[in-house]
Amino acid sequence: MRGAAAAALALGLLAAVPVLTGRSAVLNWLFLVLLHAGIAQSWNLLAGFGGQVNLGHAAFFGLGAVVARILWLDGAAVPWALFAGVAAAGAAGLLIGAPSLRLRGAYFAIGTLALAEILRITFANAMPEVSALSAAQLGDYALAPRYYLALLLAAGTTTVAWGFSASRFGLGLAAIREDEDVAAAIGIPTFRQKLLALLASTVFAGLAGGVFAYYHLSFYPSFAFSPIWTFDALIITFLGGVGTVWGPVVGAAFFILVREALALRLAELHLLIFGVLFVLVVVAFPGGLMQAGAALGRRLGAPARPAQRPQQG
Amino acid sequence: MLAVAGLCKAFGGVRAVWDVSFAVAPGEILGLIGPNGSGKTTVFNLVAGALAADAGTITLDGRSITRLTPDRRNALGIARTYQHVRCLPHLSTTDNVAVAGLYGARPAASTGAARRAARALLERVGLGWAGGVPAGRLTVAERKRLEVARALATHPRLLLLDEPLAGLNPAEAAAALDLFARIRDEGTTLMIVEHNVGAVRSICGRVVVLNSGEKIAEGAPEAVLADARVMEVYLGERAPA
Ligand SMILES: Nc1ncnc2c1ncn2[C@@H]1O[C@H](COP(=O)(O)OP(=O)(O)OP(=O)(O)O)[C@@H](O)[C@H]1O
Ligand SMILES: [Mg+2]
Repeated sequence: MRGAAAAALALGLLAAVPVLTGRSAVLNWLFLVLLHAGIAQSWNLLAGFGGQVNLGHAAFFGLGAVVARILWLDGAAVPWALFAGVAAAGAAGLLIGAPSLRLRGAYFAIGTLALAEILRITFANAMPEVSALSAAQLGDYALAPRYYLALLLAAGTTTVAWGFSASRFGLGLAAIREDEDVAAAIGIPTFRQKLLALLASTVFAGLAGGVFAYYHLSFYPSFAFSPIWTFDALIITFLGGVGTVWGPVVGAAFFILVREALALRLAELHLLIFGVLFVLVVVAFPGGLMQAGAALGRRLGAPARPAQRPQQG
Repeated sequence: MLAVAGLCKAFGGVRAVWDVSFAVAPGEILGLIGPNGSGKTTVFNLVAGALAADAGTITLDGRSITRLTPDRRNALGIARTYQHVRCLPHLSTTDNVAVAGLYGARPAASTGAARRAARALLERVGLGWAGGVPAGRLTVAERKRLEVARALATHPRLLLLDEPLAGLNPAEAAAALDLFARIRDEGTTLMIVEHNVGAVRSICGRVVVLNSGEKIAEGAPEAVLADARVMEVYLGERAPA
Protein backbone atom coordinates (compact mmCIF):
# COMPACT_ATOMS: atom_id res chain seq x y z
CA MET A 1 0.00 0.00 0.00
CA ARG A 2 2.95 2.33 0.64
CA GLY A 3 4.06 1.56 -2.89
CA ALA A 4 0.63 2.46 -4.28
CA ALA A 5 0.62 5.72 -2.32
CA ALA A 6 4.10 6.62 -3.59
CA ALA A 7 3.04 5.80 -7.15
CA ALA A 8 -0.09 7.97 -6.84
CA LEU A 9 2.00 10.84 -5.47
CA ALA A 10 4.52 10.55 -8.33
CA LEU A 11 1.68 10.46 -10.84
CA GLY A 12 0.14 13.59 -9.31
CA LEU A 13 3.45 15.45 -9.39
CA LEU A 14 4.09 14.45 -12.99
CA ALA A 15 0.58 15.52 -13.96
CA ALA A 16 1.22 18.93 -12.39
CA VAL A 17 4.48 19.59 -14.25
CA PRO A 18 2.94 21.29 -17.36
CA VAL A 19 0.97 23.57 -15.04
CA LEU A 20 3.99 24.47 -12.93
CA THR A 21 6.51 25.10 -15.68
CA GLY A 22 6.30 26.50 -19.16
CA ARG A 23 9.87 25.44 -19.92
CA SER A 24 9.72 23.14 -22.91
CA ALA A 25 13.18 21.69 -22.15
CA VAL A 26 11.88 20.15 -18.91
CA LEU A 27 8.72 18.92 -20.57
CA ASN A 28 10.62 17.48 -23.53
CA TRP A 29 13.00 15.66 -21.24
CA LEU A 30 10.20 14.19 -19.16
CA PHE A 31 8.30 13.29 -22.33
CA LEU A 32 11.26 11.26 -23.55
CA VAL A 33 11.60 9.49 -20.19
CA LEU A 34 7.89 8.61 -20.13
CA LEU A 35 7.86 7.47 -23.78
CA HIS A 36 10.88 5.24 -23.22
CA ALA A 37 9.49 3.94 -19.93
CA GLY A 38 6.36 2.98 -21.89
CA ILE A 39 8.24 1.21 -24.69
CA ALA A 40 10.52 -0.61 -22.26
CA GLN A 41 7.67 -1.58 -19.95
CA SER A 42 5.65 -2.92 -22.89
CA TRP A 43 8.61 -5.13 -23.82
CA ASN A 44 9.02 -6.14 -20.16
CA LEU A 45 5.39 -7.34 -19.96
CA LEU A 46 6.14 -10.32 -22.17
CA ALA A 47 9.91 -10.78 -21.95
CA GLY A 48 10.44 -9.87 -18.31
CA PHE A 49 7.37 -11.47 -16.81
CA GLY A 50 6.87 -14.28 -19.33
CA GLY A 51 10.40 -15.02 -20.53
CA GLN A 52 9.48 -14.76 -24.24
CA VAL A 53 12.15 -12.65 -25.90
CA ASN A 54 10.75 -10.36 -28.57
CA LEU A 55 13.60 -9.14 -30.79
CA GLY A 56 11.28 -7.22 -33.10
CA HIS A 57 9.46 -4.89 -30.75
CA ALA A 58 10.11 -2.12 -33.30
CA ALA A 59 7.60 -3.82 -35.63
CA PHE A 60 4.73 -3.05 -33.26
CA PHE A 61 6.03 0.38 -32.29
CA GLY A 62 6.43 1.19 -35.99
CA LEU A 63 2.96 -0.02 -36.98
CA GLY A 64 1.41 2.05 -34.21
CA ALA A 65 3.45 5.07 -35.29
CA VAL A 66 2.88 4.89 -39.03
CA VAL A 67 -0.84 4.02 -38.89
CA ALA A 68 -1.56 6.76 -36.34
CA ARG A 69 0.55 9.29 -38.26
CA ILE A 70 -1.14 8.65 -41.62
CA LEU A 71 -4.64 8.89 -40.16
CA TRP A 72 -3.84 11.93 -38.04
CA LEU A 73 -2.23 13.86 -40.91
CA ASP A 74 -5.25 12.85 -43.00
CA GLY A 75 -7.46 14.68 -40.53
CA ALA A 76 -8.66 11.90 -38.23
CA ALA A 77 -9.19 12.78 -34.55
CA VAL A 78 -6.11 11.93 -32.48
CA PRO A 79 -7.80 9.28 -30.29
CA TRP A 80 -9.05 7.46 -33.37
CA ALA A 81 -5.68 7.62 -35.06
CA LEU A 82 -4.01 6.25 -31.92
CA PHE A 83 -6.62 3.54 -31.57
CA ALA A 84 -6.14 2.39 -35.17
CA GLY A 85 -2.37 2.19 -34.59
CA VAL A 86 -2.90 0.19 -31.41
CA ALA A 87 -5.25 -2.19 -33.25
CA ALA A 88 -2.76 -2.69 -36.08
CA ALA A 89 0.06 -3.45 -33.63
CA GLY A 90 -2.09 -5.86 -31.61
CA ALA A 91 -3.28 -7.66 -34.74
CA ALA A 92 0.32 -8.04 -35.94
CA GLY A 93 1.21 -9.42 -32.51
CA LEU A 94 -1.49 -12.07 -32.70
CA LEU A 95 -0.50 -12.96 -36.28
CA ILE A 96 3.16 -13.54 -35.42
CA GLY A 97 2.44 -15.08 -32.01
CA ALA A 98 -0.25 -17.58 -32.99
CA PRO A 99 2.15 -19.84 -34.90
CA SER A 100 5.46 -19.07 -33.20
CA LEU A 101 4.40 -19.16 -29.54
CA ARG A 102 3.13 -22.72 -30.00
CA LEU A 103 6.72 -23.77 -30.59
CA ARG A 104 9.59 -23.85 -28.15
CA GLY A 105 12.99 -22.40 -28.79
CA ALA A 106 14.06 -19.46 -30.91
CA TYR A 107 11.09 -19.35 -33.31
CA PHE A 108 9.41 -16.44 -31.58
CA ALA A 109 12.61 -14.39 -31.22
CA ILE A 110 13.57 -14.96 -34.85
CA GLY A 111 10.02 -14.46 -36.12
CA THR A 112 9.65 -11.07 -34.44
CA LEU A 113 13.14 -9.99 -35.56
CA ALA A 114 12.30 -10.90 -39.16
CA LEU A 115 8.92 -9.16 -39.00
CA ALA A 116 10.49 -5.89 -37.87
CA GLU A 117 13.14 -5.97 -40.59
CA ILE A 118 10.63 -6.86 -43.31
CA LEU A 119 8.38 -3.98 -42.24
CA ARG A 120 11.30 -1.56 -42.05
CA ILE A 121 12.44 -2.38 -45.58
CA THR A 122 8.88 -2.36 -46.91
CA PHE A 123 8.14 1.07 -45.49
CA ALA A 124 11.50 2.42 -46.64
CA ASN A 125 10.48 1.49 -50.19
CA ALA A 126 6.76 2.27 -50.05
CA MET A 127 7.03 5.54 -48.12
CA PRO A 128 10.50 6.94 -48.79
CA GLU A 129 9.46 10.56 -48.16
CA VAL A 130 9.89 12.17 -44.77
CA SER A 131 6.60 12.67 -42.94
CA ALA A 132 6.36 16.29 -41.83
CA LEU A 133 3.65 18.42 -40.26
CA SER A 134 1.92 21.06 -42.33
CA ALA A 135 2.32 24.74 -41.46
CA ALA A 136 -1.18 24.77 -39.94
CA GLN A 137 -0.38 21.75 -37.78
CA LEU A 138 2.88 23.36 -36.69
CA GLY A 139 0.95 26.46 -35.69
CA ASP A 140 -1.38 24.37 -33.52
CA TYR A 141 1.44 22.35 -31.94
CA ALA A 142 1.48 22.23 -28.13
CA LEU A 143 3.71 20.06 -25.98
CA ALA A 144 1.35 19.51 -23.04
CA PRO A 145 -1.12 17.11 -24.76
CA ARG A 146 1.83 15.00 -26.02
CA TYR A 147 3.25 14.97 -22.53
CA TYR A 148 -0.03 13.81 -21.00
CA LEU A 149 -0.33 11.02 -23.58
CA ALA A 150 3.17 9.82 -22.69
CA LEU A 151 2.24 9.95 -19.02
CA LEU A 152 -0.87 7.89 -19.75
CA LEU A 153 1.27 5.40 -21.67
CA ALA A 154 3.86 5.01 -18.90
CA ALA A 155 1.21 4.83 -16.17
CA GLY A 156 -0.92 2.37 -18.17
CA THR A 157 1.91 -0.05 -18.95
CA THR A 158 3.21 0.13 -15.39
CA THR A 159 -0.26 -0.52 -13.97
CA VAL A 160 -0.52 -3.62 -16.14
CA ALA A 161 2.97 -4.69 -15.03
CA TRP A 162 1.88 -4.25 -11.42
CA GLY A 163 -1.19 -6.37 -12.20
CA PHE A 164 1.07 -9.07 -13.65
CA SER A 165 3.28 -9.03 -10.55
CA ALA A 166 0.40 -9.53 -8.13
CA SER A 167 -2.06 -11.83 -9.89
CA ARG A 168 -2.79 -15.41 -10.84
CA PHE A 169 -2.10 -14.57 -14.49
CA GLY A 170 1.27 -13.06 -13.55
CA LEU A 171 2.30 -16.01 -11.39
CA GLY A 172 1.34 -18.29 -14.27
CA LEU A 173 3.52 -16.24 -16.62
CA ALA A 174 6.40 -16.43 -14.14
CA ALA A 175 6.03 -20.21 -14.05
CA ILE A 176 6.15 -20.30 -17.87
CA ARG A 177 9.32 -18.19 -17.79
CA GLU A 178 10.93 -20.51 -15.21
CA ASP A 179 10.03 -23.85 -16.81
CA GLU A 180 7.37 -24.15 -19.47
CA ASP A 181 6.98 -27.94 -19.11
CA VAL A 182 6.39 -27.65 -15.38
CA ALA A 183 3.95 -24.80 -16.01
CA ALA A 184 1.90 -26.95 -18.38
CA ALA A 185 2.05 -29.90 -15.98
CA ILE A 186 0.44 -27.84 -13.19
CA GLY A 187 -2.44 -26.84 -15.44
CA ILE A 188 -1.32 -23.49 -16.87
CA PRO A 189 -2.60 -22.98 -20.45
CA THR A 190 0.83 -21.89 -21.60
CA PHE A 191 0.06 -20.93 -25.19
CA ARG A 192 -2.98 -18.86 -24.29
CA GLN A 193 -1.15 -17.02 -21.51
CA LYS A 194 1.83 -16.24 -23.72
CA LEU A 195 -0.45 -14.98 -26.49
CA LEU A 196 -2.41 -12.75 -24.09
CA ALA A 197 0.81 -11.30 -22.67
CA LEU A 198 2.05 -10.69 -26.22
CA LEU A 199 -1.21 -8.92 -27.03
CA ALA A 200 -0.80 -6.61 -24.02
CA SER A 201 2.83 -6.01 -24.97
CA THR A 202 2.17 -5.19 -28.64
CA VAL A 203 -0.90 -3.06 -27.94
CA PHE A 204 1.17 -0.82 -25.66
CA ALA A 205 4.08 -0.82 -28.13
CA GLY A 206 1.58 0.42 -30.73
CA LEU A 207 0.36 3.13 -28.38
CA ALA A 208 3.97 4.17 -27.75
CA GLY A 209 4.46 4.40 -31.52
CA GLY A 210 1.32 6.53 -31.83
CA VAL A 211 2.51 8.90 -29.11
CA PHE A 212 5.86 9.19 -30.88
CA ALA A 213 4.09 9.93 -34.18
CA TYR A 214 1.94 12.60 -32.57
CA TYR A 215 5.01 14.18 -30.93
CA HIS A 216 7.55 14.27 -33.71
CA LEU A 217 7.58 17.15 -36.16
CA SER A 218 9.14 15.05 -38.91
CA PHE A 219 10.50 11.53 -39.33
CA TYR A 220 11.00 8.93 -42.02
CA PRO A 221 8.33 6.22 -41.67
CA SER A 222 10.97 3.48 -41.85
CA PHE A 223 12.74 5.04 -38.85
CA ALA A 224 9.78 3.98 -36.69
CA PHE A 225 10.74 0.36 -37.49
CA SER A 226 14.43 0.84 -36.70
CA PRO A 227 15.98 -1.88 -34.50
CA ILE A 228 16.99 0.95 -32.18
CA TRP A 229 13.48 0.87 -30.66
CA THR A 230 13.82 -2.81 -29.83
CA PHE A 231 17.28 -2.49 -28.39
CA ASP A 232 16.54 0.65 -26.41
CA ALA A 233 13.56 -1.13 -24.84
CA LEU A 234 15.73 -4.15 -24.06
CA ILE A 235 18.66 -2.16 -22.67
CA ILE A 236 16.43 0.10 -20.55
CA THR A 237 14.62 -2.91 -19.11
CA PHE A 238 17.83 -4.72 -18.22
CA LEU A 239 19.42 -1.55 -16.83
CA GLY A 240 16.44 -0.98 -14.56
CA GLY A 241 15.60 -4.57 -13.69
CA VAL A 242 14.02 -7.12 -16.02
CA GLY A 243 10.79 -8.68 -14.80
CA THR A 244 10.23 -6.00 -12.14
CA VAL A 245 7.42 -3.43 -12.04
CA TRP A 246 9.61 -0.33 -11.63
CA GLY A 247 12.75 -1.43 -13.49
CA PRO A 248 11.75 -0.02 -16.91
CA VAL A 249 10.74 3.32 -15.35
CA VAL A 250 13.98 3.70 -13.39
CA GLY A 251 15.95 2.43 -16.39
CA ALA A 252 14.29 4.95 -18.73
CA ALA A 253 15.09 7.90 -16.48
CA PHE A 254 18.71 6.77 -16.21
CA PHE A 255 18.96 6.04 -19.94
CA ILE A 256 17.57 9.40 -21.08
CA LEU A 257 19.68 11.22 -18.49
CA VAL A 258 22.88 9.63 -19.78
CA ARG A 259 21.85 9.92 -23.43
CA GLU A 260 20.93 13.58 -23.24
CA ALA A 261 23.91 14.46 -21.01
CA LEU A 262 26.31 12.91 -23.51
CA ALA A 263 24.28 14.37 -26.40
CA LEU A 264 24.42 10.97 -28.05
CA ARG A 265 22.85 11.63 -31.39
CA LEU A 266 24.97 9.22 -33.36
CA ALA A 267 23.37 5.81 -33.47
CA GLU A 268 26.65 3.89 -33.53
CA LEU A 269 28.17 5.70 -30.57
CA HIS A 270 24.89 5.40 -28.72
CA LEU A 271 24.89 1.62 -29.22
CA LEU A 272 28.54 1.34 -28.20
CA ILE A 273 28.17 3.31 -24.98
CA PHE A 274 24.93 1.71 -23.93
CA GLY A 275 26.21 -1.71 -24.95
CA VAL A 276 29.15 -1.35 -22.58
CA LEU A 277 26.99 0.13 -19.83
CA PHE A 278 24.51 -2.68 -20.29
CA VAL A 279 27.19 -5.35 -19.87
CA LEU A 280 28.66 -3.62 -16.81
CA VAL A 281 25.34 -3.31 -15.01
CA VAL A 282 24.12 -6.78 -15.92
CA VAL A 283 27.38 -8.42 -14.80
CA ALA A 284 27.48 -6.52 -11.49
CA PHE A 285 23.72 -6.56 -10.86
CA PRO A 286 21.79 -9.10 -12.96
CA GLY A 287 18.65 -7.57 -11.45
CA GLY A 288 19.58 -4.08 -12.72
CA LEU A 289 19.30 -0.80 -10.84
CA MET A 290 16.32 -2.14 -8.85
CA GLN A 291 18.56 -4.85 -7.42
CA ALA A 292 21.40 -2.38 -6.81
CA GLY A 293 18.96 -0.12 -4.93
CA ALA A 294 17.66 -3.03 -2.86
CA ALA A 295 21.23 -4.09 -2.01
CA LEU A 296 22.02 -0.55 -0.90
CA GLY A 297 18.84 -0.48 1.19
CA ARG A 298 19.89 -3.68 2.95
CA ARG A 299 23.35 -2.23 3.62
CA LEU A 300 21.78 0.75 5.35
CA GLY A 301 18.98 -1.08 7.14
CA ALA A 302 18.94 -4.24 9.24
CA PRO A 303 20.11 -7.37 7.43
CA ALA A 304 17.35 -9.88 6.70
CA ARG A 305 17.68 -13.17 8.55
CA PRO A 306 17.90 -16.04 6.06
CA ALA A 307 15.62 -19.05 6.57
CA GLN A 308 17.30 -21.85 8.52
CA ARG A 309 17.15 -25.55 7.76
CA PRO A 310 16.06 -27.38 10.89
CA GLN A 311 18.89 -29.48 12.36
CA GLN A 312 18.60 -33.15 11.52
CA GLY A 313 17.85 -35.12 14.70
CA MET B 1 -9.75 -44.85 -13.65
CA LEU B 2 -6.89 -44.70 -16.17
CA ALA B 3 -6.70 -47.11 -19.09
CA VAL B 4 -3.81 -47.26 -21.52
CA ALA B 5 -4.15 -49.40 -24.65
CA GLY B 6 -1.58 -50.20 -27.33
CA LEU B 7 0.61 -47.26 -26.40
CA CYS B 8 3.65 -46.73 -28.67
CA LYS B 9 6.39 -44.11 -28.74
CA ALA B 10 9.61 -44.25 -30.73
CA PHE B 11 12.53 -41.82 -30.75
CA GLY B 12 14.18 -42.16 -34.12
CA GLY B 13 14.83 -45.90 -34.29
CA VAL B 14 14.49 -46.46 -30.53
CA ARG B 15 11.22 -48.11 -29.49
CA ALA B 16 10.96 -46.43 -26.08
CA VAL B 17 7.42 -47.72 -25.46
CA TRP B 18 5.95 -50.50 -27.56
CA ASP B 19 2.35 -51.69 -27.50
CA VAL B 20 1.91 -51.18 -23.78
CA SER B 21 -1.51 -51.66 -22.20
CA PHE B 22 -2.52 -51.49 -18.55
CA ALA B 23 -5.21 -50.06 -16.32
CA VAL B 24 -5.09 -48.24 -13.01
CA ALA B 25 -7.91 -48.82 -10.52
CA PRO B 26 -9.16 -45.99 -8.33
CA GLY B 27 -7.49 -45.91 -4.91
CA GLU B 28 -4.60 -48.22 -5.72
CA ILE B 29 -0.85 -47.69 -5.74
CA LEU B 30 0.50 -49.13 -8.96
CA GLY B 31 4.26 -49.67 -9.29
CA LEU B 32 5.92 -49.28 -12.68
CA ILE B 33 9.28 -51.00 -12.68
CA GLY B 34 11.92 -52.15 -15.11
CA PRO B 35 15.61 -51.74 -15.85
CA ASN B 36 17.19 -48.46 -16.93
CA GLY B 37 15.96 -47.28 -20.30
CA SER B 38 12.96 -49.63 -20.30
CA GLY B 39 10.49 -46.79 -20.98
CA LYS B 40 9.05 -45.99 -17.54
CA THR B 41 9.57 -42.24 -17.74
CA THR B 42 8.33 -42.22 -21.31
CA VAL B 43 5.07 -43.85 -20.15
CA PHE B 44 4.66 -41.06 -17.60
CA ASN B 45 5.37 -38.43 -20.25
CA LEU B 46 2.73 -39.99 -22.49
CA VAL B 47 0.12 -40.21 -19.73
CA ALA B 48 0.77 -36.64 -18.53
CA GLY B 49 0.81 -35.33 -22.10
CA ALA B 50 4.40 -34.03 -22.17
CA LEU B 51 4.89 -36.33 -25.18
CA ALA B 52 2.37 -37.22 -27.89
CA ALA B 53 1.82 -40.94 -28.46
CA ASP B 54 2.66 -42.40 -31.89
CA ALA B 55 -0.17 -44.90 -31.47
CA GLY B 56 -2.54 -46.13 -28.79
CA THR B 57 -5.13 -44.52 -26.57
CA ILE B 58 -5.21 -43.14 -23.05
CA THR B 59 -8.56 -42.83 -21.31
CA LEU B 60 -9.35 -41.24 -17.99
CA ASP B 61 -12.68 -42.35 -16.51
CA GLY B 62 -13.86 -43.46 -19.93
CA ARG B 63 -12.95 -40.21 -21.65
CA SER B 64 -10.13 -40.20 -24.21
CA ILE B 65 -7.35 -37.79 -23.24
CA THR B 66 -4.91 -39.03 -25.89
CA ARG B 67 -4.89 -35.72 -27.75
CA LEU B 68 -5.23 -33.30 -24.86
CA THR B 69 -2.47 -30.87 -23.91
CA PRO B 70 -0.71 -31.43 -20.57
CA ASP B 71 -2.50 -28.49 -18.93
CA ARG B 72 -5.91 -29.91 -19.88
CA ARG B 73 -4.90 -33.31 -18.47
CA ASN B 74 -3.78 -31.68 -15.26
CA ALA B 75 -7.10 -29.85 -15.05
CA LEU B 76 -8.77 -33.27 -15.34
CA GLY B 77 -6.76 -34.53 -12.38
CA ILE B 78 -3.41 -35.94 -13.56
CA ALA B 79 -0.34 -34.55 -11.79
CA ARG B 80 3.27 -35.67 -11.92
CA THR B 81 6.73 -35.27 -10.46
CA TYR B 82 9.99 -35.51 -12.39
CA GLN B 83 12.78 -38.05 -12.10
CA HIS B 84 15.30 -35.25 -12.58
CA VAL B 85 13.84 -32.61 -10.29
CA ARG B 86 12.43 -29.49 -11.91
CA CYS B 87 11.41 -26.49 -9.86
CA LEU B 88 10.67 -22.86 -10.69
CA PRO B 89 14.08 -21.74 -9.39
CA HIS B 90 13.60 -17.97 -9.01
CA LEU B 91 10.16 -18.19 -7.40
CA SER B 92 9.87 -18.68 -3.67
CA THR B 93 9.17 -22.18 -2.44
CA THR B 94 5.69 -20.99 -1.42
CA ASP B 95 4.97 -19.55 -4.86
CA ASN B 96 6.16 -22.76 -6.54
CA VAL B 97 3.27 -24.48 -4.80
CA ALA B 98 0.83 -21.54 -4.81
CA VAL B 99 0.90 -21.16 -8.58
CA ALA B 100 -0.02 -24.84 -8.92
CA GLY B 101 -2.95 -24.20 -6.57
CA LEU B 102 -4.11 -21.26 -8.69
CA TYR B 103 -4.39 -23.54 -11.72
CA GLY B 104 -4.74 -27.32 -11.55
CA ALA B 105 -8.02 -29.19 -11.19
CA ARG B 106 -9.60 -26.93 -8.56
CA PRO B 107 -8.13 -23.43 -8.84
CA ALA B 108 -7.92 -21.49 -5.57
CA ALA B 109 -10.19 -18.46 -5.25
CA SER B 110 -7.37 -15.96 -4.74
CA THR B 111 -3.59 -15.71 -4.58
CA GLY B 112 -3.91 -15.27 -0.81
CA ALA B 113 -5.89 -18.50 -0.46
CA ALA B 114 -3.43 -20.30 -2.73
CA ARG B 115 -0.47 -19.14 -0.64
CA ARG B 116 -2.15 -20.24 2.59
CA ALA B 117 -2.85 -23.66 1.11
CA ALA B 118 0.73 -23.79 -0.19
CA ARG B 119 2.18 -23.13 3.26
CA ALA B 120 0.06 -25.95 4.71
CA LEU B 121 1.27 -28.35 1.99
CA LEU B 122 4.89 -27.31 2.59
CA GLU B 123 4.44 -28.07 6.31
CA ARG B 124 3.13 -31.44 5.30
CA VAL B 125 6.23 -32.37 3.29
CA GLY B 126 8.57 -30.93 5.93
CA LEU B 127 9.45 -27.71 4.11
CA GLY B 128 7.52 -25.34 6.34
CA TRP B 129 10.72 -23.47 7.17
CA ALA B 130 11.57 -22.85 3.49
CA GLY B 131 8.54 -20.88 2.27
CA GLY B 132 10.43 -17.66 1.59
CA VAL B 133 13.51 -19.27 0.06
CA PRO B 134 13.91 -19.28 -3.74
CA ALA B 135 13.31 -22.87 -4.78
CA GLY B 136 16.62 -22.95 -6.66
CA ARG B 137 18.46 -22.77 -3.32
CA LEU B 138 16.95 -26.00 -1.98
CA THR B 139 18.91 -29.26 -2.01
CA VAL B 140 17.89 -31.97 -4.47
CA ALA B 141 16.21 -33.97 -1.70
CA GLU B 142 14.25 -30.89 -0.62
CA ARG B 143 13.22 -30.16 -4.20
CA LYS B 144 11.88 -33.71 -4.49
CA ARG B 145 9.54 -32.95 -1.59
CA LEU B 146 8.68 -29.59 -3.13
CA GLU B 147 7.64 -31.41 -6.31
CA VAL B 148 5.25 -33.59 -4.32
CA ALA B 149 3.72 -30.53 -2.64
CA ARG B 150 3.42 -28.78 -6.01
CA ALA B 151 1.70 -31.77 -7.58
CA LEU B 152 -0.68 -32.12 -4.62
CA ALA B 153 -1.59 -28.43 -4.88
CA THR B 154 -3.29 -29.12 -8.21
CA HIS B 155 -5.74 -31.52 -6.45
CA PRO B 156 -4.86 -34.59 -8.51
CA ARG B 157 -6.96 -37.72 -8.70
CA LEU B 158 -4.03 -39.57 -10.25
CA LEU B 159 -0.50 -38.75 -9.12
CA LEU B 160 2.51 -39.97 -11.12
CA LEU B 161 5.71 -40.16 -9.04
CA ASP B 162 8.93 -40.78 -11.01
CA GLU B 163 11.61 -42.25 -8.70
CA PRO B 164 10.50 -40.20 -5.70
CA LEU B 165 12.91 -41.98 -3.33
CA ALA B 166 16.10 -41.68 -5.40
CA GLY B 167 18.76 -39.79 -3.46
CA LEU B 168 16.88 -39.86 -0.15
CA ASN B 169 18.48 -41.39 2.96
CA PRO B 170 16.63 -44.32 4.63
CA ALA B 171 14.86 -42.07 7.17
CA GLU B 172 13.73 -39.66 4.46
CA ALA B 173 12.60 -42.54 2.26
CA ALA B 174 10.55 -44.04 5.09
CA ALA B 175 8.90 -40.67 5.73
CA ALA B 176 8.15 -40.31 2.02
CA LEU B 177 6.55 -43.78 1.84
CA ASP B 178 4.44 -42.84 4.84
CA LEU B 179 3.32 -39.69 3.09
CA PHE B 180 2.42 -41.56 -0.11
CA ALA B 181 0.31 -44.06 1.83
CA ARG B 182 -1.56 -41.18 3.47
CA ILE B 183 -2.10 -39.44 0.14
CA ARG B 184 -3.62 -42.66 -1.17
CA ASP B 185 -5.80 -42.99 1.93
CA GLU B 186 -7.13 -39.51 1.26
CA GLY B 187 -8.42 -40.68 -2.10
CA THR B 188 -5.66 -39.99 -4.64
CA THR B 189 -4.61 -42.84 -6.89
CA LEU B 190 -0.85 -43.26 -7.30
CA MET B 191 1.50 -44.62 -9.92
CA ILE B 192 5.11 -44.92 -8.78
CA VAL B 193 8.24 -45.60 -10.78
CA GLU B 194 10.83 -46.91 -8.36
CA HIS B 195 14.04 -48.93 -8.48
CA ASN B 196 13.98 -49.66 -4.76
CA VAL B 197 12.35 -53.10 -4.76
CA GLY B 198 11.86 -53.10 -1.00
CA ALA B 199 9.83 -49.93 -1.25
CA VAL B 200 7.82 -51.31 -4.16
CA ARG B 201 7.00 -54.43 -2.13
CA SER B 202 5.92 -52.42 0.87
CA ILE B 203 3.68 -49.88 -0.79
CA CYS B 204 2.45 -51.09 -4.20
CA GLY B 205 -0.67 -53.20 -4.45
CA ARG B 206 0.21 -54.15 -8.00
CA VAL B 207 3.15 -53.70 -10.35
CA VAL B 208 3.66 -53.49 -14.10
CA VAL B 209 7.08 -54.50 -15.39
CA LEU B 210 8.59 -52.98 -18.52
CA ASN B 211 11.61 -54.21 -20.46
CA SER B 212 12.90 -52.53 -23.61
CA GLY B 213 9.64 -50.65 -23.95
CA GLU B 214 7.39 -53.72 -23.67
CA LYS B 215 5.29 -54.93 -20.79
CA ILE B 216 6.61 -58.30 -19.63
CA ALA B 217 4.66 -58.86 -16.43
CA GLU B 218 1.85 -57.49 -14.29
CA GLY B 219 0.39 -58.51 -10.95
CA ALA B 220 0.96 -58.58 -7.20
CA PRO B 221 4.54 -57.56 -6.24
CA GLU B 222 5.44 -60.90 -4.63
CA ALA B 223 4.30 -62.92 -7.63
CA VAL B 224 5.77 -60.60 -10.24
CA LEU B 225 9.15 -60.25 -8.55
CA ALA B 226 9.41 -64.05 -8.35
CA ASP B 227 8.63 -64.39 -12.08
CA ALA B 228 11.48 -65.98 -14.03
CA ARG B 229 11.48 -63.41 -16.83
CA VAL B 230 11.48 -60.52 -14.40
CA MET B 231 14.33 -62.10 -12.41
CA GLU B 232 16.31 -62.54 -15.60
CA VAL B 233 15.75 -58.94 -16.71
CA TYR B 234 16.79 -57.64 -13.32
CA LEU B 235 19.74 -59.98 -12.84
CA GLY B 236 20.96 -58.98 -16.29
CA GLU B 237 20.94 -55.39 -15.11
CA ARG B 238 21.44 -55.45 -11.38
CA ALA B 239 20.28 -57.61 -8.52
CA PRO B 240 17.05 -56.52 -6.83
CA ALA B 241 17.73 -55.12 -3.37
N1 LIG C 1 13.27 -37.29 -25.37
C1 LIG C 1 13.92 -38.39 -25.80
N2 LIG C 1 14.60 -38.36 -26.97
C2 LIG C 1 15.25 -39.45 -27.41
N3 LIG C 1 15.27 -40.63 -26.78
C3 LIG C 1 14.61 -40.72 -25.61
C4 LIG C 1 13.91 -39.61 -25.06
N4 LIG C 1 13.34 -39.98 -23.89
C5 LIG C 1 13.69 -41.27 -23.72
N5 LIG C 1 14.45 -41.72 -24.74
C6 LIG C 1 14.95 -43.09 -24.91
O1 LIG C 1 13.87 -43.96 -24.70
C7 LIG C 1 14.25 -45.08 -23.94
C8 LIG C 1 13.40 -45.17 -22.69
O2 LIG C 1 13.75 -44.09 -21.83
P1 LIG C 1 13.02 -43.79 -20.46
O3 LIG C 1 13.59 -42.54 -19.94
O4 LIG C 1 11.56 -43.85 -20.66
O5 LIG C 1 13.49 -45.01 -19.56
P2 LIG C 1 13.32 -45.26 -18.01
O6 LIG C 1 12.71 -46.60 -17.88
O7 LIG C 1 12.64 -44.14 -17.36
O8 LIG C 1 14.84 -45.34 -17.55
P3 LIG C 1 15.53 -44.90 -16.16
O9 LIG C 1 15.30 -46.01 -15.19
O10 LIG C 1 16.97 -44.78 -16.51
O11 LIG C 1 14.93 -43.62 -15.76
C9 LIG C 1 15.73 -44.94 -23.67
O12 LIG C 1 16.42 -45.67 -24.67
C10 LIG C 1 15.97 -43.47 -23.84
O13 LIG C 1 17.29 -43.22 -24.28
MG1 LIG D 1 13.16 -42.75 -15.98
